[in-house]
Amino acid sequence: MTLEIAVASGKGGVGKSTLASTIAIILSRHSKPIIAVDADAEAPNLHLIFGIKKWEVEEPYGEAMVAEIVQEKCTRCGRCAEVCPHGAIDFIDGRYVVNTVLCEGCVTCTLVCPVKGAIIRHKTIAGYIRQTMTTYGFPLISGRLPPGRPNSGKIVSEEKERARAMATQDSIIVVDSAAGIGCQVVSSLAGANMAILIVEPTPASFSDLRRVYTLTRHFMQPAALVINKYDINEDYVETIEAFARENNIDLLGKIPYDDNVPLSMAKMAPLIELYPDSPASKALIEIAEKVAWITEHWREWFMKYRPRKPMPYKPQIIKPPELGKA
Amino acid sequence: MSEENRGLDSIVSHRFGRARYMIIVDVENGEVKNIKAELNPGGQAASGAGIKAVQKLVDEGVKAVVAGAFGPNAMTALENMGIKYYQLQGVTVKEALGKLSL
Repeated sequence: MTLEIAVASGKGGVGKSTLASTIAIILSRHSKPIIAVDADAEAPNLHLIFGIKKWEVEEPYGEAMVAEIVQEKCTRCGRCAEVCPHGAIDFIDGRYVVNTVLCEGCVTCTLVCPVKGAIIRHKTIAGYIRQTMTTYGFPLISGRLPPGRPNSGKIVSEEKERARAMATQDSIIVVDSAAGIGCQVVSSLAGANMAILIVEPTPASFSDLRRVYTLTRHFMQPAALVINKYDINEDYVETIEAFARENNIDLLGKIPYDDNVPLSMAKMAPLIELYPDSPASKALIEIAEKVAWITEHWREWFMKYRPRKPMPYKPQIIKPPELGKA
Repeated sequence: MSEENRGLDSIVSHRFGRARYMIIVDVENGEVKNIKAELNPGGQAASGAGIKAVQKLVDEGVKAVVAGAFGPNAMTALENMGIKYYQLQGVTVKEALGKLSL
């Protein structure tokens, strides 16, 4: 079966991309067909680690249509505003105007408009998805969203869908999530067979880890944990290890703080290639080898670490006070 | 939910909110009566995919849904609307109906 592994952390800058890229490379050295997915379309950087300078494919995705009312032709009948299912047509200063942020291009307004050509549609580009073969023998799928635009969960879904379309039965999809626990991250985790969480021994990182962990419980996914930069605060490591034990999270390993990490990122190459003997490299390789083992003994590992109790994450719904029923 | 429209042979999608199609079947006494495919509005939506998908299920009178994963918003909406949800993936619609004895 195709395995999908999501790497997440909650907190930014704790080592997701370094870990994800290492796992992809090491598993690839084990001759496994890999597809790497950079699921951070707002600030992608997996391609920087792989030293990618140009993309084989770069295309706009999710071309959305947005309606526009041609004011010279509009008779101000207001039918469009009445029928718009998204409430995207406003009446401002005596004119009907489409709110382009809310408009989803569904054409309902165009269908009811009595004047031909009074409502036209424009294409807008939701974002870009790009893809290229890395020099490690596996493809990387990445995304890019224009600043301030919505669709972050959607572009991640789209990237993963493309990965699945390319995948074979033995493929392993390695998904490098964004930081946080927003739509992008939820989308990165949804459908993954396992989550590898990475944390640094600080209260901030641990707090964020616990939040992203609740998402893995929501999706009933087995989780593994990596503690990065462990030597910056060894006392705190205990607290985190206890958390992993209590929750049946597989602690894969600990990585020491290593100056070569930022150095390799600056040089746009993977740490394990540039500095294979550095302390962080050795620890990372050991961890990636464990991940390789997991993929080869999937059933066994899954049965041991899968959550038994469903713990769905229910967002709190704030209901408006009941108005008197008509 | 499925990424393809091949009737009962469609493979159940690994996700709910952004799956491409809804394969809707009527089951009476263990027999499949009608089958149709609808495009999932959640698949196209810029945001709120899960909610839009649930809205469509409600519009179609669906009582139970099968997919590989349900996000937090979708799950809450399904529960509020009293629609049962089952987490299964990698099987065909036919196999899913069998496994769940629906």
